[in-house]
Amino acid sequence: MGVPVGRKNLFSEPRRAVLGVGGVAVALLLVLMLGGIVDGAIREVTAYIDTSPADVFVAQAGVRNMHMASSTIPIDDLQTIRGLPGVSWADPIRYAPDAVSTASGRRIAYVIGFVPGGRGGPAALVEGHVPGSGEVVIDRRAAESLGVGVGEEVVLLGARWTVSGLTSGLTNLANTVAFITYREFEAATGTHGTASYVLLGGDAPAANLAATIERATGLSALPKSAFADQERGLVEDMSAQLIQIMNVAAMLIALAVIALTLYSTTLSHLREVGVIKALGATRSRLTGVVLSQAAWTVVTAVGVAVALAVGLSVLVSRVTTNVSILLEPAAVARLVVAATVLGLLGAITPMIKVWRVDPATVFRRNR
Amino acid sequence: MSRSVPIARRNILADRRRLAISTVGVGLAVALIFLLEGLWAGLLDQISAYPDHLDATYVARAASARSLVEGSVPPTALDAIRSIPGVTRADPVIAHYVILDLHGTKKPAVLIGYDPGGAGGPWSIAEGQPPSSGSSGIVMDETLAHDHGIDVGGSLEMQGRPFSVTGLSAGTQSFMGVAYVFTSLETARAVFGQEGTATFVLVDAEDAGRVGDEIARATGLAVETPDQVARDERELYATILGKPIVLMVVVAFVAGTLIVALTVYSAIVDRIREYGIAKAIGARWTRLLRIVAGQTLVLAALGLIAGAVFYEGGSRLIVALRPQFESVLTPRIVGEVVIAAIVMGLLAAIVPTRRVTRLDPADVYKG
Repeated sequence: MGVPVGRKNLFSEPRRAVLGVGGVAVALLLVLMLGGIVDGAIREVTAYIDTSPADVFVAQAGVRNMHMASSTIPIDDLQTIRGLPGVSWADPIRYAPDAVSTASGRRIAYVIGFVPGGRGGPAALVEGHVPGSGEVVIDRRAAESLGVGVGEEVVLLGARWTVSGLTSGLTNLANTVAFITYREFEAATGTHGTASYVLLGGDAPAANLAATIERATGLSALPKSAFADQERGLVEDMSAQLIQIMNVAAMLIALAVIALTLYSTTLSHLREVGVIKALGATRSRLTGVVLSQAAWTVVTAVGVAVALAVGLSVLVSRVTTNVSILLEPAAVARLVVAATVLGLLGAITPMIKVWRVDPATVFRRNR
Repeated sequence: MSRSVPIARRNILADRRRLAISTVGVGLAVALIFLLEGLWAGLLDQISAYPDHLDATYVARAASARSLVEGSVPPTALDAIRSIPGVTRADPVIAHYVILDLHGTKKPAVLIGYDPGGAGGPWSIAEGQPPSSGSSGIVMDETLAHDHGIDVGGSLEMQGRPFSVTGLSAGTQSFMGVAYVFTSLETARAVFGQEGTATFVLVDAEDAGRVGDEIARATGLAVETPDQVARDERELYATILGKPIVLMVVVAFVAGTLIVALTVYSAIVDRIREYGIAKAIGARWTRLLRIVAGQTLVLAALGLIAGAVFYEGGSRLIVALRPQFESVLTPRIVGEVVIAAIVMGLLAAIVPTRRVTRLDPADVYKG
């Protein structure tokens, strides 16, 4: 039975092992966190669409998003849409950027004006009831950050509204969502005769419905899943470059710590390496020792990083009201692959060191 | 003759390779902190690019508006402003987010509709000319244009309509690469279905104080200077994005601290006999702490210098590849990072110091 020299050497000094693995784990945590923040934002940005009962979302021609987009549809087109074959129902919504304010603060909000009894309002409420005249439904996290609850007042679209109910899952890094009635939206903004988007359902496949609507009206129509993909694409495209920059820096830090940990461990056990070489260990055997240390470092660090990320995501969700860290299995898998590559690269310097060890020199008293 | 031995310096410099790896690792962590802080400062500068370049006495907008694209000013308010004595100019501007689909990438932009003879247009036209009123002409940001192979005379589709590029503007990007695109007010009204209303009104006035008060009284609008509008933009986005940035800075700081601690700890463990001797001949814990802290602070200082070099190179590379990510280092940021490096060095001394202070001199002589 072989002696696990690599593992024993790595953990022979527990504190050093903790520092080394901890350093790698923290660098990998940065990568997980960056991706988790973006994935969390994506989930929340698409929450309204994902939870909608609509099969198709219709927007102004050329518009394929809700977030950071502007869409205006003449209300006459709504009647055209309702008359198309396969369309069972079609509800308009109004949509505009604004902010929900209280004395405690202010949150950017997309305000949705929906038809009461229709399908454009909040998918579910965690508290209270749908808004009536002078009322608004806001997201629970936004309500917490603003220090308001059901029955209290907020300012929106330049007017005061009473919070009638709370939703969940609609507050992201950048904004929240608020719901008022369609008529009140028109009155508050002084705009009539248009819709921002039309949500519809039907008894035909969503793709067919969307194509029919585009042909008939010239508007932009997308099945719900495709519309959500467009929103995801927007967040990913906006954040991709910044994430890449940060990821490169974090990976380089992880590489430096891996190299440092393995190098320090190798130096500390140079005598043992000399003994092993004197006993006839081949280069491949010695390489295996270093690689096993790299593997243990990487595996342990990834495990610690994932555990820290999970803990951090829970902590962040409790401490903040607009940051979510979502850990996707695919992100963890990518991290494992990247960390493996880093482990191999970090092992190069210590491998060279052990290959060059002269068994005789390690027995000198002073190095 | 009494002459102290620079133990800290000798220990840390004894293994040059380990020192080099550690310096690189700490330097990367410090560079990441510099980069995060610098990008954040650059981002805040860019956020307010539009109001920073406004040539107007006041910006009159909806009382609840805190971002450039929020709110609506009715035509009656515009008429009221123009009728106030002392108002020399009142130019309505429309501003809305739009999403550009360019080569399969989604790029958010702010479409500004302004009176080509008035205020609110591009502040620096690098090429071409401003759009004419009612035409489909636009001036777009040159960085965005060149990234996607668009020149003067080219075309761009927005909101389902084709636009012709009459000019390219310089320095007209907001945060995260969100570009400003300028068209005539008339065209913007047609695009967004906004007849008569504006997002805000740019006012020039004699006797600014009196006129500002009168506008507010007559219209109920918020009347702010461009500086105040710029401050609102920065505060708004600082609220949104500040927390993730702080989180990442903290993680980078922890990574740097662990690297310093690991390096010094490894150096101490490798020379544990000498520390045992030092204790045996009477070195007290304060002396040992100074030795350890001396090493951690030296390494933190080297890391700080390396970090500054890495940051300089990295930020230049980032700007060359991605001009929208501008990094701005202020004396405050430099001071903060220097303090962070010192604190890093002091914190990193804790674990190695405990190792040394708990050392029993007799233990180091065991076989």
